Amino acid sequence: MRQMMVGVVALSALMAFPAMAAEGKRVSVKGELIDTWCYFSGVMGRPDAVVGSAHHTCAMWCAAGGIPIGLLGEDGEVYMVLKLPGDDASNGGETFLTMTNDTVEAEGMVYERDGLTYLVVSEVTSNDGIPNRTHEDFGVVPGNVIPDAVVDKVLEEG
Amino acid sequence: MFKRVAMIAALVAVPATAEEGAFAEGSKAKSWNLTAQEKALFTAKVVDVLCELAGDCPPDCGGGTRQLGLLRDVDNALVFAAKNGQAVFTGAATDLQPYCGKAVEVDGLLTGGDEISAGAAKIFQVQRIREVGGEWSKANRWTKEWRRANPDAKGKGPWFRRDPRIVREIEKDGYLGLGPDEDKVFIKDWY
Repeated sequence: MRQMMVGVVALSALMAFPAMAAEGKRVSVKGELIDTWCYFSGVMGRPDAVVGSAHHTCAMWCAAGGIPIGLLGEDGEVYMVLKLPGDDASNGGETFLTMTNDTVEAEGMVYERDGLTYLVVSEVTSNDGIPNRTHEDFGVVPGNVIPDAVVDKVLEEG
Repeated sequence: MFKRVAMIAALVAVPATAEEGAFAEGSKAKSWNLTAQEKALFTAKVVDVLCELAGDCPPDCGGGTRQLGLLRDVDNALVFAAKNGQAVFTGAATDLQPYCGKAVEVDGLLTGGDEISAGAAKIFQVQRIREVGGEWSKANRWTKEWRRANPDAKGKGPWFRRDPRIVREIEKDGYLGLGPDEDKVFIKDWY
């Protein structure tokens, strides 16, 4: 009977917590909100070419397309962002789209699992916009980001 | 001229090595020449990553709003699924959502590793998926879902040229994100 009671208590506990949460750590971290696919895969070039202003439009395409956003910390670590303040829509959500390539200071919880680092942001304490002017070195990445018609119009205007 | 040569040199200096990794056996994944690319075929459970890590668990893995992962059967590793099989800037979560909580088999590519992140972990591109024992499907439903959600975004060109949210952001902040005036200065300098 005692064993049965223990079993019922254990089962109740499991049902009350459907997911076994990992142990998190509270952090404050500063860095740029980047497009993780292009950064990890090299599909558009080396890592320093797929951050900042050079890659901003592509990063928006990827964010809107549901590719995860990461925070590239000043320590070089990529924190996979699962939640921004008031918005857990990490699959193409509005906050994620509109903050791509912004350099921010964020507070929240960090979780490490199987070599990746994940960040749940509770507060953005500062936002510097896009100070990383990589277009001055790389142009736009990929090179066809700006349509020819837009380029022609600007050049015609002189 | 020099700027263009420097840009091209930067873009081609990408370490792309094909690897037969620990999960490559039986994989039919197509190469994308990715950084430290590994083919990978494995069985897993589809999970809501935020739920798995932080215990924040809405019904149905968030109903399509959240990033999803693959809890690999053989080693209980959480594999982060970042990309689907389409070459149009599209993630994996929309393709994985119908399989929330289910046992699946996935085939695709792992990429990243110690050249990219201190943790040396890789993220995953799902190219095809099936419920265990079921029929394979290509991981390419994202654009179909986008068309369903954006019936008024008509016109020529791929989805990312017509998406209302992207069009709005470019009108406001330009292609560089620094404002339309910075775009004009850049275009006159580079083109």
